[in-house]
Amino acid sequence: MNENDRELLEGLRALAADGPREAPGHIEERLKTEFRRQRRRRSLLTWFPAFSVAAAAGIALLVWIRSETPRPAPASAVAAVAHAVDPVAEEDSDGFYPLREAEALPAVENAMVVRVQLPVSSLQLMGVPVGDERADVNVQAELLLGQDGLARGVRLVE
Amino acid sequence: MERGDFSLVRAEFGMSNKVVPGAPYSAQAVTEFSQTMADGNRIQRTTTGSIARDSQGRTRAERSFGAIGALSAQRGAGKTVMIFDPVASKSYVLEPESRTARSTPIPAAHSNEAAHAHEGPPRNMASAKTDDLGTQVMQGVNVQGKRVTRVIPAGKEGNEKEIDIVTETWYSPDLQVVVMSKTSDPRFGETVYQLSGLNRAEPDPALFAVPSDYSVKEGRPMGPMMRRGPAAQ
Repeated sequence: MNENDRELLEGLRALAADGPREAPGHIEERLKTEFRRQRRRRSLLTWFPAFSVAAAAGIALLVWIRSETPRPAPASAVAAVAHAVDPVAEEDSDGFYPLREAEALPAVENAMVVRVQLPVSSLQLMGVPVGDERADVNVQAELLLGQDGLARGVRLVE
Repeated sequence: MERGDFSLVRAEFGMSNKVVPGAPYSAQAVTEFSQTMADGNRIQRTTTGSIARDSQGRTRAERSFGAIGALSAQRGAGKTVMIFDPVASKSYVLEPESRTARSTPIPAAHSNEAAHAHEGPPRNMASAKTDDLGTQVMQGVNVQGKRVTRVIPAGKEGNEKEIDIVTETWYSPDLQVVVMSKTSDPRFGETVYQLSGLNRAEPDPALFAVPSDYSVKEGRPMGPMMRRGPAAQ
């Protein structure tokens, strides 16, 4: 420690011994408020890119899940059918659920819609993803048939 | 009652995906379905029908419902006739047993909807390869052939090895119809569809009209066709 350092240290001690020197209360409160605001803003700025990446990843995951994940196995066979093939009222008919077994068939030139009664097990044979429970329950469904008489789609009517 | 997989309640309506005027024809349509089970047992079903189109683009399709793919009908094969008349914007389903016709208006928005439902690759198939099979004459008409091979990668459906699904189609550009198609899908079996006895003469106009002794009832509206989903082609 040289002469200058010693002078500075003594000056600081004298200043400290002179008593507390605090800002007036209202200034202190404004400083604290401003400090908290700046800190919050910095925190948001710091995390914003991370939030963006996480949100994008979440959306991508949701899209991927919706397109890749098969429908979950429902509790009962009828519920499963209803889940895979929404029941429709005649006045408010929904579109047909495309069948997996028709994935590779040629495009439809002439179509015919027929109403059939069939057990849930028959829907399984057609590739509709339904469980084995109550496979013998009969349901009414409409089939969209192509010119070859093969079903391209199905929808429940009850 | 004979055991079966389904019983036909009724035919609702029919439709064509496009109107093709100026290219009349009539033919028999035969579909053969076969599936070999794991134990070597084999399911074979054949369904027949007929199809006709006049110069105005009206079509008539007759089909029996003894089977739909792997499913067999519980009762005898009921026959249904579908007339699609874009000139009158009406679609009729004829029920020969009850001498009844059900009439359904054709909404313009439905054109091509069913065909488009099978466009785009299925989501579980990684790729599709198309081979040009050239041209040849089938049933007296020139047809263009193509073979589409789709692959389900290993593991996609719990499969140990990849699954190849092959569709061979022979299409007549003149008639704008598929004359023959063959689909081989190891998951569901093999299907062969073929027109036979193809005749390009103008069919009898009476085929495209409701017989006078039929009573005509209003059918229900067609409604939307296919949802977007895992369909193919």
